[in-house]
Amino acid sequence: MADPVVLEEVSYAFGEGELRRAVLRDVALRVMPGEIVLLTGPSGSGKTTLLTLIGALRAMQAGRARVLETELAGAGEGQRRALRRRIGFIFQNHNLLGFLNARQNVAMALELQAGLTERERLSRADAMLASVGLEDHRHKPPSQLSGGQRQRVAIARALVGDPGLILADEPTAALDKASGQEVAALLRRMARQRQVPILMVTHDPRILDMADRIVTMEDGRVVPALPAG
Amino acid sequence: MSLLQSLYLPLRLSWRQLRAERARLLAAMAGVMFACVLVFMQIGFRAALFDSATALLSAMRAELFLMNPLTTASFRPEPLPRIRAQQALALAEVRQSVPVYMAQVTWRNPESGTRRAIQLVAFDIESDAMGFNGLAALADRLKQPDAVAFDRRSRPEFGDVGRLLAGQPGTPLPVQIGGRQMNVMGLVDIGPSFGADGNLVLSETNFRRLLPNRSVANVDLVALRLQPGADPVATQARLKALLPEDVVVLTQPELVAWERRYWEEATPIGFIFTFGSLMGLIVGMVIVYQILFSDIAGHLREYATLKAIGYSNGYLARVVLSAALLLAVLGFVPGAVVSAVLYDVVGSATFLPLGMSWSRAGLVFGLIFGMCAAAGLLAMRKLRDAQPADMF
Repeated sequence: MADPVVLEEVSYAFGEGELRRAVLRDVALRVMPGEIVLLTGPSGSGKTTLLTLIGALRAMQAGRARVLETELAGAGEGQRRALRRRIGFIFQNHNLLGFLNARQNVAMALELQAGLTERERLSRADAMLASVGLEDHRHKPPSQLSGGQRQRVAIARALVGDPGLILADEPTAALDKASGQEVAALLRRMARQRQVPILMVTHDPRILDMADRIVTMEDGRVVPALPAG
Repeated sequence: MSLLQSLYLPLRLSWRQLRAERARLLAAMAGVMFACVLVFMQIGFRAALFDSATALLSAMRAELFLMNPLTTASFRPEPLPRIRAQQALALAEVRQSVPVYMAQVTWRNPESGTRRAIQLVAFDIESDAMGFNGLAALADRLKQPDAVAFDRRSRPEFGDVGRLLAGQPGTPLPVQIGGRQMNVMGLVDIGPSFGADGNLVLSETNFRRLLPNRSVANVDLVALRLQPGADPVATQARLKALLPEDVVVLTQPELVAWERRYWEEATPIGFIFTFGSLMGLIVGMVIVYQILFSDIAGHLREYATLKAIGYSNGYLARVVLSAALLLAVLGFVPGAVVSAVLYDVVGSATFLPLGMSWSRAGLVFGLIFGMCAAAGLLAMRKLRDAQPADMF
């Protein structure tokens, strides 16, 4: 099985001409199957930009990037959208749709898959909510859930479509210590069960122990690796 | 995704979104309803104007008409020589030639004594050339001197003639018309128009008694009734060749169209109603646009999230358009009901023939649908601000 994420010589800059500011310089990064990689570094080091490139949310400028066997250099919006459907995203804010309840939010991630009936979508959403411990809350809208519960719904939404990769951006930043650790542990357990690799940007020192490997970035470059733990 | 799913799922999503904010939904529905009622009323008035303006002419039972080419509208006719009516009989196809006289005179309200202009329609009652309801039963009595028949649908300012007549069965009601004492023998059905608030039907002879200064050589309109099986268009062509240039020969649809064209083109009325409808649609569109726009602006993060997890721009555009179309339906249904009630209320207050029809409801729904779709297309541009790259 090929590595889910392979980046070589990826560079990226914002702005034009004199205002051009490089945020990524010759980044190389590899995530192996089933691996949990944390990306840390000071703000402005380019880790979020890197995440949006891997997540096909932005078009590549220079370098080569293969994500889930899709070459991102020169990929059009259609190809990138197709790739995004195979990635589970977890955001700093849960970004659930406020007018949908928990199971409808999770089922939204399945509406893009052809050949599923409404019943199948909802039963898969229910099963996923049960596995994140929210089976009793599936009919509640996000406004009636706690911060940790919302982030668990977001995890369920990211995982329900059986993604080949999970990209997470500070998923615990908005949570208190207990629920942050709970969410991190849940994410780690779910990813391990399914053998899904995770690439997570985080500043949160409380959850660094969940990683197989920690990659540190500074000034748009990857700092040579430290052993985890 | 199948085609059906790709339409149904965005529709369901937009419905769930609309439903979640009741107050906003009600405001949007009220906006659409407002536009809907406005358009219904404007279109209704417009149609009622044209229908009532031509009701008198439509009720005439004749295939061809002679008219002075300078006549712009029937309530203000230019006279034509009476001899043309006789000349038309030269053709074998013309069975009967009925001169019609029209004029407006003052009528004194038998109850209050106030005066108001009323339309006279005079012709040979025996000719059966006019199809007004109730006329046949009165035909004999209208031959009496100074006898008239009153249009029961005339505006109430003329007095409640129906009630006065019912209070004295078998006895004519004396009224003052144009300074002369006349007798109302009974009631007919014609209906007021924008040019005439009320109508009186009387015989040619009584018309001359009432307006002795009118030249006997002049008439205002000639109704020609043809032999059964005669072709009106061919006869029209032969009459045109036969008669001098001081008359036009019109079929009944042409006569009605002539009258209609006066109201459409020579008065601002037709334009006013079109303009009113347009204003209603624009106001409605702005309201719907505002609602949809603020819905998108308030949910940009959610829309960006949907894009991030693989939803296409097209899908989100369908969500916005679905919302627009849902608002069209949700606003139209109560709007049509309110309009139907208003038609009844306004129709009985103004005596204009206002009525809801399926074809009109269909037309207004089409307009409202288009209005909401245009608002949706405008609001959709806001979706570009939903950038999934800004999500992290």
